[in-house]
Amino acid sequence: MTMTKVTTQTRESKKENTSLRAKGFVPAVVYGYKTDSKAIAVEEIELIKVLREVGRNGVMKLDVDGKTINAVLTDYQQDPIKGQILHADFLAINMSEELEVAVTVTPVGDAVGVKEGGSLTQPNREVTVKVKPSDIPDHIEVDVSELNIGETLTLGEVRDKIDFDVQEEDDYALVSIAAPRSDEELEELDSTEDEETTEEDATDVEATEEAPEEEKAE
Amino acid sequence: MLMPKRVKYRRQHRGKMRGQAKGGTEVTFGEYGLQSTEASWITSRQIESARIAMTRYMKRGGKVWIKIFPHKPYTKKPLEVRMGSGKGAPEGWVAVVKPGKIMFEIAGVSEEVAREALRLASHKLPVKCKVVKRQEIGGESNES
Repeated sequence: MTMTKVTTQTRESKKENTSLRAKGFVPAVVYGYKTDSKAIAVEEIELIKVLREVGRNGVMKLDVDGKTINAVLTDYQQDPIKGQILHADFLAINMSEELEVAVTVTPVGDAVGVKEGGSLTQPNREVTVKVKPSDIPDHIEVDVSELNIGETLTLGEVRDKIDFDVQEEDDYALVSIAAPRSDEELEELDSTEDEETTEEDATDVEATEEAPEEEKAE
Repeated sequence: MLMPKRVKYRRQHRGKMRGQAKGGTEVTFGEYGLQSTEASWITSRQIESARIAMTRYMKRGGKVWIKIFPHKPYTKKPLEVRMGSGKGAPEGWVAVVKPGKIMFEIAGVSEEVAREALRLASHKLPVKCKVVKRQEIGGESNES
């Protein structure tokens, strides 16, 4: 387990947030174990560097008003276009108490179905694991080498091979192999012209309610 | 082509397209996605055309998700008709797309194939797009 320190500064009001973001800071909040909710700001570059070091679920040391708090990043908001982190939530944790974290599932091995032309898809990419902060895994590997086309690997089948206490039910699907497109589908694609219009007409769609009387009168 | 089965009202106001997409801004199902950087109406024909361009390039492999749906009807008056006399007849269906929206997703193919397929799809759409890869916070930049 790696721990990295993040220096923080306190912030007073929401009004500061825009100027903080312009200066390269991320408005954040810290709360949790023996910590009152407190509005802080962290440097974005420093936060990203620390996250690359410890991982998404990693424990970091937050320096808040000279006091060091062990915390994990529980939530964050990101700008969809620029990718800038707009806000972060840190949860102060007790290092001796178990917590629930979402851990990524990584398929390993070349599936039989993929070799035959199928495509591997992951209906669920994360599992909830109850674990001590010091043992949080970066990811959980599942062997998919024996999966055929049309088959789905569920959590129940691999639960014994995972060393952690996974919270989801046994029928939780992790990996499935979708069948490749059939000859008919490919033929259909080749014969379809991009500009082709289908028989369906926009006016065919049924309206459940009529427009108000005033509109109709116009 | 995609269109609703049933609607409450046959005609809708055109509306405004202010601000950024509120949801659907992350790659959720596949590995790669096509993200809009502009706001526009995407017609059901454009969606279908983009889907065909992608699947045709990917041939047998891979899976495509369409994450937008044309819920909104648009109307048109007949040619050579004077203004007034009520709203025109429904002409087609559009999806309202705002900046940041992930419109299509792809999985099960190599990065090279996925990027090319999404590039081809972007040429069928009336908006500027970028190809994005699934990533966790703090990940490497992956736009193209």
